[in-house]
Parts: sequence; structure tokens; C-alpha cells
Amino acid sequence: MKSSFRIRAVAFVATAAVLALTACSAGSSTSGSSGSSPGGDQKLSIGLVAEPASLDFTTTDGAAIPQLLLGNVYETLVKQDDSGKIVPSLAKSWTVSADRKTYTFDLVDTAKFTNGKPFTANDAVFSINRVKTAWTISLKAAMDVVSQAKALSPTQLQVTLAKPSNDWLFRMTTRIGAMFSESGVSALATDPVGTGPFKFSKWNRGDSIVMVRNDDYWGTKPFFQQITLKYFKDATALNNALLTSTINVIGTVQAPEALSQFTSNTKYQVIEGTTNGEVLLSFNNSRPVFKDIRTRQAIRMAIDHKALLDTCFAGRGKLIGSMVPPTDPWYEDLTGIAPYDLAKAKSLLQASGAAGKTLRLRLPTLPYATSCGQVVKSMLEQAGLKVQIDQLEFPAAWLTTVFKNADYDMSIIAHVEPRDLGAVFNAKYYTRYDDPTLQGYLAAADAGDEAAQVDNMKKAARRLSEQAAGDWLFLLPNLVVADKNIKGLPQNAITESFDLSKLAR
Amino acid sequence: MILRLIERAAVFLVSLAVSSVLVFAFMAVLPGDPARVALGVNASDQAVAELRRQFGLDRPLPTQYFDWLGGLLHGDLGTSYVSKVAIGPQVFDRLQVTLWLVVAGMVIALVVAVPAGTVMAARHRKVSGFALSAVSQVGVAVPAFLAGILLIVVFAVKLGWLPANGWTPPAQDPGMFLKQLILPALSLGLVQGAVLTRYVRSAVLDVLREDYLRTARAKGLRPFQALWRHGLRNAAVPVVTVLGLQLATLLIGAVVVERVFVIPGLGSLLLDGVSNRDLLLVQDVVMVLVLAVLLVNFIVDLLYVALDPRLRTAS
Amino acid sequence: MKRLNPSLVAGGVIVGVIVLMALVSFVWTPYDATLVTPASRLLKPSWSHWFGTDKFGRDVLSQIMVGSRTTLFVGVVAVGVAAVIGVPLGILAAMVRRWSSEVIMRANDLLLAFPALLLAIMFGAVFGASTLTAMVAIGIASVPGFARVIRSGALQVMRTEYVLAARAAGRRPWPIAVRHVLPNVTSLITVQASVSFAIAVLAEAALSFLGYGTPPPTPSWGRMLQESQEFLFSAPRLAIFPGVAIAIAVLGFNLLGDGLRDRFDPKLEDRR
Repeated sequence: MKSSFRIRAVAFVATAAVLALTACSAGSSTSGSSGSSPGGDQKLSIGLVAEPASLDFTTTDGAAIPQLLLGNVYETLVKQDDSGKIVPSLAKSWTVSADRKTYTFDLVDTAKFTNGKPFTANDAVFSINRVKTAWTISLKAAMDVVSQAKALSPTQLQVTLAKPSNDWLFRMTTRIGAMFSESGVSALATDPVGTGPFKFSKWNRGDSIVMVRNDDYWGTKPFFQQITLKYFKDATALNNALLTSTINVIGTVQAPEALSQFTSNTKYQVIEGTTNGEVLLSFNNSRPVFKDIRTRQAIRMAIDHKALLDTCFAGRGKLIGSMVPPTDPWYEDLTGIAPYDLAKAKSLLQASGAAGKTLRLRLPTLPYATSCGQVVKSMLEQAGLKVQIDQLEFPAAWLTTVFKNADYDMSIIAHVEPRDLGAVFNAKYYTRYDDPTLQGYLAAADAGDEAAQVDNMKKAARRLSEQAAGDWLFLLPNLVVADKNIKGLPQNAITESFDLSKLAR
Repeated sequence: MILRLIERAAVFLVSLAVSSVLVFAFMAVLPGDPARVALGVNASDQAVAELRRQFGLDRPLPTQYFDWLGGLLHGDLGTSYVSKVAIGPQVFDRLQVTLWLVVAGMVIALVVAVPAGTVMAARHRKVSGFALSAVSQVGVAVPAFLAGILLIVVFAVKLGWLPANGWTPPAQDPGMFLKQLILPALSLGLVQGAVLTRYVRSAVLDVLREDYLRTARAKGLRPFQALWRHGLRNAAVPVVTVLGLQLATLLIGAVVVERVFVIPGLGSLLLDGVSNRDLLLVQDVVMVLVLAVLLVNFIVDLLYVALDPRLRTAS
Repeated sequence: MKRLNPSLVAGGVIVGVIVLMALVSFVWTPYDATLVTPASRLLKPSWSHWFGTDKFGRDVLSQIMVGSRTTLFVGVVAVGVAAVIGVPLGILAAMVRRWSSEVIMRANDLLLAFPALLLAIMFGAVFGASTLTAMVAIGIASVPGFARVIRSGALQVMRTEYVLAARAAGRRPWPIAVRHVLPNVTSLITVQASVSFAIAVLAEAALSFLGYGTPPPTPSWGRMLQESQEFLFSAPRLAIFPGVAIAIAVLGFNLLGDGLRDRFDPKLEDRR
């Protein structure tokens, strides 16, 4: 389970993707006739939050860059479909050896990078090895399990793992698996080169990023000739931009309270689904006050999650009882493990001796955290705790103080990365959650077959919830609002990418 | 007069040098290692040290300061630690945006303030003057971002006449540029105009009281005629001073309006820089803002000398 | 006694009401201003909640009342900082030799290049955004205004006969400053304090709006305004109450400043 000992930056950028019908495009070689897309030269403008600081996700952390580039500019060997299944992409098919350590991929032979070079197994070897040598973000640890990658032929790649790992193939669907061209990595921060359906065109810093259709794309060509991603600081400004037709789509609604103005208007469609973004009330499990399980359980029981969701996220989103979103195969409804019970919470706090103590709730300056933090404070104080809120500027100050130095008692942040249970709850992460039993389940899940993986992940999720390692306030919803005539918008956002290629009008 | 100009120029240059030291020293104490922030939280200490070396952050502070200053003098603002992109062109782009906004705001402020202030002064004992005075008092009290929010609600969302936010460079689409400029420029300009009105009023009142105007009026000129022929140049002196001060306020005050209207100006670059701990970027933007303010003050000083004959002989 | 002028009366009444509101909020508010009650969220104004409730079910009137404390507190500290630095600086600049005076005033002008908003963002970046950093930044940014006004007032006082006489008698500068100059510029200090107060209220609101001011859950008018943004269509009243509160407070302090200026400076009186 080494690959999940990753420490990543977390940001609230709900990623979105629709990957339906991907199998059709994989392997089917198109004639390559350019410009014959049904959309002609139509354009689209999408409003998003959190502009990336750079285009290089190999050295800059955060969800904004893969949201933009993965699947659109860069492609992976395998990807996740809408139901979460791993399906072909740049690899037409693959086989796994009996000892589950050797993977052989058959690659498509028609893919080309936007710098004109064809995509071959050598590029795949280069990309996999480069994660270990040149990447600096902590996610790169997912590639540590690879002992060797080699090209058997221009279209055949063999990867050998040091030990069996279910997680590795899954991680290959994320940014770690992005395929680069050896001659296209000289200016990753400003000039990305990939095989995907779109080409990066222009960046108006502080405002927007423009993508244009890759007319030489090897798969099904996208509908739109040009898609502009406009970045907004402020949720209200984002809403206003759609209302005044400056943009056609709001990629992630950040002000759910304002959603009513769209649901009541027939000009717009509103899509509500799920994401991977667990909003976690994290406990610093290394603090003495949290050593007592009764304190942790009491906090979970003192929070009326339904009322909290209604208050700080307008009731949008889903209540989850552990670190698993409903789109993962091992999801179970665990909200019953710590039901709202104020009287019980009070008595547990009395018993553990935590009643009357002051806890520091250090919040990142993100709207949902600020909102929910105030509700949590009010609810915990009714149960007999004292809560002192302070705000730390996100990302820099929060990352240093809470995330790196673990100088906090409680915090609130959405963990938006897929399958991040093992990454978030371990002794090295800011949760400082040291639990050999949990690690045992996770290791067994990584090494075993599919059934064993699901079974052990279920045990792990239940263990976390029963141990009250943190409190899962709710799961962020995938809220997309768009002009009525836009098609191909994602129902659930379960990958790191916002797939632009399926959008149509 | 020449002596005075040289003195002003010297003051300007010394102020610039002192403020560059201040800005650099202030940024040097910022907590949060820029190299670590750029690399993500769990980067190895070794990688962080390597990046520090690459950015030159391991050198002694005076060396870093003179290096930065030397670059500034050549128009080289350095390379961002976070985005690895040259900062100079970015700052230049954003400065243009903010300047459009500020200049448009200032023009609106003048268009509002000069007539309103003059009327208020000329009729200061009449109902119309009092009414205008009351309106300007309220205008002064409304924050520009509140004005912006109200303008968006009325003109963009309710009436749909103008876009709610956004920015288009004038070279790209002049029509769209103007449409998007109107609301933010109004929210800056109306509030500043209210402030300016009060100064225009008192400047004109001062002039009206001067003997030469009384004489002119005694000769049968109507108040506005007298003012037009003799008074405006004299009233301009204090107004220009205030205008200079206001330009400085506007440059930085634009940051809030830029936030409301999602305008990629210098202010939003500064706020982004702060939250990304893009230290060098913040340092550069602050320095550019300070330079702009000092420059405006310097120009006002020069105008002062040019406008006021009494000052030419003074000192 | 001179006749009271309308600005002074109006400004005095407004400021008085705000101070009274802040004082009352210490002993009584209709509801606990920070208590989150999901059951009663987003209520329209009614007899039980005069200004309605916000998205947390908090009573808006109570928040406005408690928020006035933040406004006044920030204003008092900022003006205090500005006066404590600016007044001695201004008097000093009026009393020292010419070139040192020039240096002081030039340094003072330099500070003008760092307006409150810029300073507060820089402070917020270094020390973390808080009410304290906002107050200090606004205070420092208000120093030049004080120093300039006090210097010009002090220069006049220095030319009066009793000061000239005191200097001729060999009095040392320090006692002269305290005995003669300071008492004669108190009216200027009061006027400048009132004007700076209005600026401080505006600056605090802008900072809280940007997220560099008072952190939650302490009620602040600027932050209430920011939090109301997503309700501009469904519940615009949430923006209107704090917005009007800010405008009224600024108006009050400006009027008070004008009124005081007219009262202290009889030459200006007939301008009304």
C-alpha cells in the first residue's frame, strides 16, 4: 500500500468529467480528415473558479491544472468511464500476468502529439520514468511501485511492478498517467504538448484560457472549435456572467444558495450529481484531547449533518458517513454509525473530560469552509465544547500551518482527489491518524483481487467511521448550470478532468 | 523655478529609493517559504533547497535587493517562483487594464464634480446648492464596491443593458470594451466624483471671495461669467492637488472594484500573488503601485509650479 | 455659545446613535448575534426579527448591533494609532529647523504612497488577516493626514505672540509644545479624527469584503455585505442592511467633521 502514502495539496475545485462511450473511440482509427466536426467553428465559454498558477502539473500541485488539461490536452493509457470502471484510452487493451505484477499494454498506432510526433511505446516509457525523475509534486509517489517500464515494440508497452497493486492501474487514469512527448516537455508551464482532442491556444492571465480543437485528433473529434475557460474569483460574479450570457456554462457552482435563480428559469439546465469531494472536519489525532475515542465520537454526534448541509450548502450535496463517495465500488451508507444525538454527545464529552475545553478550528479562506466552520462551532458549543475559529489564507498559510506543520486541533477542507481514503488517514498526513488495523485492510485491498479489494476497502471505510478518525460533513455536489441547449455535460464528477470533448450544442 | 524643479526631482528619486528598500525589507519577512509553496507541501528539503538556489533565495539579502533593483532599472521584473513566467509583461498587461479603469473613473469623477461643485459654490445659500451638497455627502459615504454591486443588479441583471462583469482589451473588440468598462468606471467615478465635488466647491468658494472676482462682479458680470473669466485657473490649484491624491487612492482602490467586476487588473494580480505566496510578484506589483503614486505626486508638484504664479517665486 | 450648525447636529446624532447601539449591544441584543439556528434561516423581516435572519439563521439586527462594535473599535484604534504618531510628528515638523522639517514631511509624503488597502493586504500577507492588522494598517495610512494638518496648525501657533514671547524668555521647546502648541491644535485634532474615522470605516468594510479584515464569526458590516453576495436576488435585504449601516456611519462621521470644522473656524462659518 505504499502508493497511497501520498501527501497531496487539496483544493476545492470540483472536477468534472463525462466519459461515457469512450470505448467506441478507443482503438477505432479515424480517417484523419480534418475540420469535419459537426460543430463547425462553434465556440463555447465555460466559467470556472480557481485559475491555475501554471500549466505544469508535474511540479505544481492543485486540482485546477488537471481539470483543464487531463483528457483534453494530455491523454492517459487507461481512463475511468462514467461508472468508475477502468477502460481503454491510448492503450487499446492490456493483460495482467498471473502474479499480478506485469502489465502488457497494446497501444493505439494512430495517435499523434500536437508537435507532430507520433505517440509510441517509447513515449509511454519516457512518461512513466519521468514521473520518478522530474516530477516534484507528492502525488508522484504513486509511481514508486513500478520497477521497470519497457517498450516491446512501438505499440507494445510492458510495465513491471515491485509488488501487486490495484491502486497503480487506477492511478494511471489520473494525471500521473499522462502521456508526454520526449520533445514536448521543455516548457510545460506555458506550452503543453499532448495527444488529446484539444490544443492549448492562449492564456490571458487573470482572466481566461483558450483551447482549440485538435483537428488531427486520432479519436472522435470534439464538437466545438474553440472553448474558452473563464476563471472567476467570486461565486456571485460567476453566476452573473451566465445570467448576462458572458459564459454558457458554470462548471462548478460555488454559491448553491443562488441556484434558485437558474432552476426557476427555463433558459437554463441545472445538473446535480456527486463528486469525489469529501468535506472533512479533520481532527489532529496526535493531540491529547483527540486520543480519547469518546471525544471524537462526541463531536460526530454533536453535529446535525442534515441541518449543517442545509445551512452552509443550501442542502445540496450528499451525507456520507465515511471517506468513500457513492461512485466507488466499495461505497456503503455509513451515516448511521454516528447519528446526531446531542445528549449522548454531552455525556461522552463529560466522560472523556473534554467538556469545557477550547479547540482551535483553523479554517482555510474558502467559502464553504468559512460557512460550515461557523455552523460547526455553534453546534459543538451546544454540546459543551469551546471552539475558537481562526482563518488561514488559502492556499499558502493554511498549507504551511495546518497541512505541513499540523499546528491545529480541527480544520475543514474538501478532499477532492479520487480514492483518497488511505492517503488522508495515515500517521504522516496532517490528520496524524496512526492505525495499524486500517493499514492492514488497505494493504490487503491493494494486493488482492477485485473481490478482496472491495471487501477490504469496505472494512477500511467502516473502521474509520467507527473510530471517528474525522467527521465527514458532506460530499460536495457536482453542480453544473448551463444554457439549455448544451449537451454532454457530466452528471457526476469523479475524475480529475473536465472533459471538454463530449460537449456539444 | 529651475532650482525648484531639480529639488522636486531629487525628492522624487530619493522617495523612490527609500520605498524600494521598505518594500523589499517588508517582503523579506513574509512567512511561508516561496520555494516550498511552489513545490507543494511534501517536497523534500533537498528539492526545496535546490529551488531556493535556483531562485537565488539562498544569497544574502543585500545581494538579493541590489539584484532586484538592478533588474527593475532595466525593466526586468524577474521570473515568478510559482508560474515560472516572466513577471514584467504580466504587470505591464495588468497595469494597462487598471489604468483604463482609473482614467475612465477619473474622467467620470471630473465630469460630475466640476459642474456640481461649481453650482454648489455659486448657489451655496440656495436650496439647489444645499440639495446637491446633501447628495454629495451621501455619495462620499457609499463604498465603491457597494455602488458596483447595486449597478450590477440594476443595469446588468434586472435591465440587461450591460454585461455584469468581464474585460475585453480595446484592441480586440472596442464595442465590448466600452460596454464592459462603463459599470466599473461608474462605480469608481461616481464615488470619487462625490469626494471631488466637495473640494471643487470649497476651492470655488475661496475664489469667489477673492477681491478680483468681487470687482468683476461689481463691473456687472454675472457670477458664472466672472468665475469663467477669472476664477477657474485659481480654483484649479487645490483641485489638481486633490486629483493627484485621488489618483493614488483610485489605483489601489480599484482592487475592490476589480474583484466585484472580475477585471484582471493590477489589484487582482496582487491578491493572487499574495494568496499563492508569489513573493517576487507581490514585491514587484507593490513597487509598481508605489512608483505610480510617487510619479503622480511628482507630476502634481510640477503642475502646481506651473499653475500657481505665486509658487513659482516661493522658496 | 455659538449657534449649532446643522452638520454638527446631524453628525452628532448619527454618531451618538451608533455609539449607543454599540454600548447597548454589550448588555442586550434581540438574539445572540453568532448563534446558528438552522431552523430559522433566511426569514423575512417580522416583529420577531426586525431585519430578518441570514443563511445561518442569525438575527440580522443583532449582527448589525454587534457589528457596530467592530466598526467603532477599528475606527478608534486606527485613529488612535494615527493621532499618536501623526500629532507629535506634525508638531515636531513645525518646531524643528527647516531642513529637518522638510525631511519629516517628505517621509510623511512617502507614506501617502502606501494607502490603507495596500498596507492592510501586505500586513495580512505577513501576519495573517485579522482585525488587528486591519486597524494598524488603516492607522498607519492615516498618519500623513494628521501630520500635515497638525503641522500647518502648529506653524500658526508658533507665530503667535505668546509663543514668540515664551521662546524669547528661553523656554525649552518641549514645554512649549505641551503647554502652548498642543492645546491650540486640539480642535484640529478633533476635526481630523472625525474625518479619519469615516475613512477607517470605509477601509474596514472594503478589507472585510476582500477577506482581509475581521475574520468570522465576529460580526462585521463589511463581511456581512460579502456574505450577502450570493443572496442578491433571493434576499437583497441581506446586502441592504449592512450597506446602509456603513453608508450612514461614514455619513455621520463626515458630517461631524464638517460641523466641527465650521464651529472651530469662524471664518468659514458664512460658507454654509
